[in-house]
Amino acid sequence: MKAIVIGAGLGGLLSAARLSKAGYAVEVFERLPITGGRFTNLEYEGFQLSSGAFHMFPHGPGGPLARLLEEVGADVQIVRSGQTALRVPLKKGSTDYGAGFRDIPFYDFPALLSNKDRLKTAFLIASTRKNRPAGSTLQAWIKTQVKDEWLVRLADSFCGWSLSLRSEEVPVEEVFEIIENLYRFGGPGVPMGGCKGVIDALEAVIAANGGIIRTKTEVSKILVENGKVTGVLVNGEEHEADQVISNIGHAATAGLCGEALSGEKYAGYLEMLETLQPSAGIKICLSAAEPLIGHSGVLLTPYAKRINGINEVTQVDPKLAPPGRHLTMSHQHVAPENVKDLEAEIELGLKDLKAIFPGKKYEVLLIQSYHDGWPVNRAASGTDPGNETPITGLYVVGDGAKGKGGIEVEGVALGVAATMKKILG
Amino acid sequence: MKINENCVGCGQCASFCKKGAIEVLGKARATDACIECGICAPYCPVRAIEVQV
Repeated sequence: MKAIVIGAGLGGLLSAARLSKAGYAVEVFERLPITGGRFTNLEYEGFQLSSGAFHMFPHGPGGPLARLLEEVGADVQIVRSGQTALRVPLKKGSTDYGAGFRDIPFYDFPALLSNKDRLKTAFLIASTRKNRPAGSTLQAWIKTQVKDEWLVRLADSFCGWSLSLRSEEVPVEEVFEIIENLYRFGGPGVPMGGCKGVIDALEAVIAANGGIIRTKTEVSKILVENGKVTGVLVNGEEHEADQVISNIGHAATAGLCGEALSGEKYAGYLEMLETLQPSAGIKICLSAAEPLIGHSGVLLTPYAKRINGINEVTQVDPKLAPPGRHLTMSHQHVAPENVKDLEAEIELGLKDLKAIFPGKKYEVLLIQSYHDGWPVNRAASGTDPGNETPITGLYVVGDGAKGKGGIEVEGVALGVAATMKKILG
Repeated sequence: MKINENCVGCGQCASFCKKGAIEVLGKARATDACIECGICAPYCPVRAIEVQV
């Protein structure tokens, strides 16, 4: 059996590793000169920045991505991060960090509520595990339960950091699936060597299983006969395959199918693709001699104007920065209406950093933004259309086809695992 | 070197530039240090870099 993978991002390489381990002849085609997509390292001024992701697994060594890596035999060490912290103003009623702040553990968030709301929240934490809310956005649901703006701030900061969305954009079902996964798998972790540590390990597995990865090689067409995939076209040459796994999102995949997807039979699928919205975000990479966060956990910043959260990966792997320096990266969600004004959004992010780290010395290394054709997620979390396509033998993996309740790369892993189950049984 | 409207500002080009000649702020911009070597162009994930020959 032969499988062709389009795109050597994380989803593509996970698929290639799994299929090659199962005995498939696997060939991966990647348009760019580098592999890893938005999940690899970019070397910049001696730092290991990233092409997208934050050198972090949302569920660390116990999550879906770690499990899949273990299953395929990829040699990656994932170190569990410290507790996620929340930076909150010192004085109740403050709406920013101007008059001082303190950090509290994430799980202490109810401590900032009134006694009544704290009781209500404790009740909800217990009861919602059995009776999950449904049918609204997270924010709308919170507002029907507790009238404290703190919970909306917290939800926005968590959704912004982990999904690059606002709480009013996320279906409440998706969030409760995420919460269940946090119970199941635990919190984040950092892969040693950063994203590229994972990519290198996957490539080693693929090579050991006889698979081939071709960079600088673009697939121009997906070949289909009688509703079934038969291969791909590369530089005018036909490459036959029993299965084609696309890591470039549903819309671009459909584009490569061309007229094979015309006709009434496929109209519903194509219409659904029109509704898919990528999510946008900005990452600001900081260099500092003294640590800015000081621990390996995520720092969520619910009282910042734009920045949702920050991590300091050198707390786990100092090699991600030159000796004596730390690498600290902030993430901010960009609302769809603000994508046209990224410079203003970046300004607000830089201002936030000054308020979050007053009196600290740091340099801005690089500011990276992601949207449209190279987004945070090709499908906003909660809207992923699954891994199947109307073409038999053609699957989509990656952040345009994440599994339910899977934050970022965990969603990619869940989607790949589901796809492999369909193919391998 | 021309950077077209496809650019999202991901900075991938800047990390491959040997001359430190790309500034990124929402979009990439080539500075005066750019020598038109074209090394960055194939690394752009959204085909935003047009190198003049």
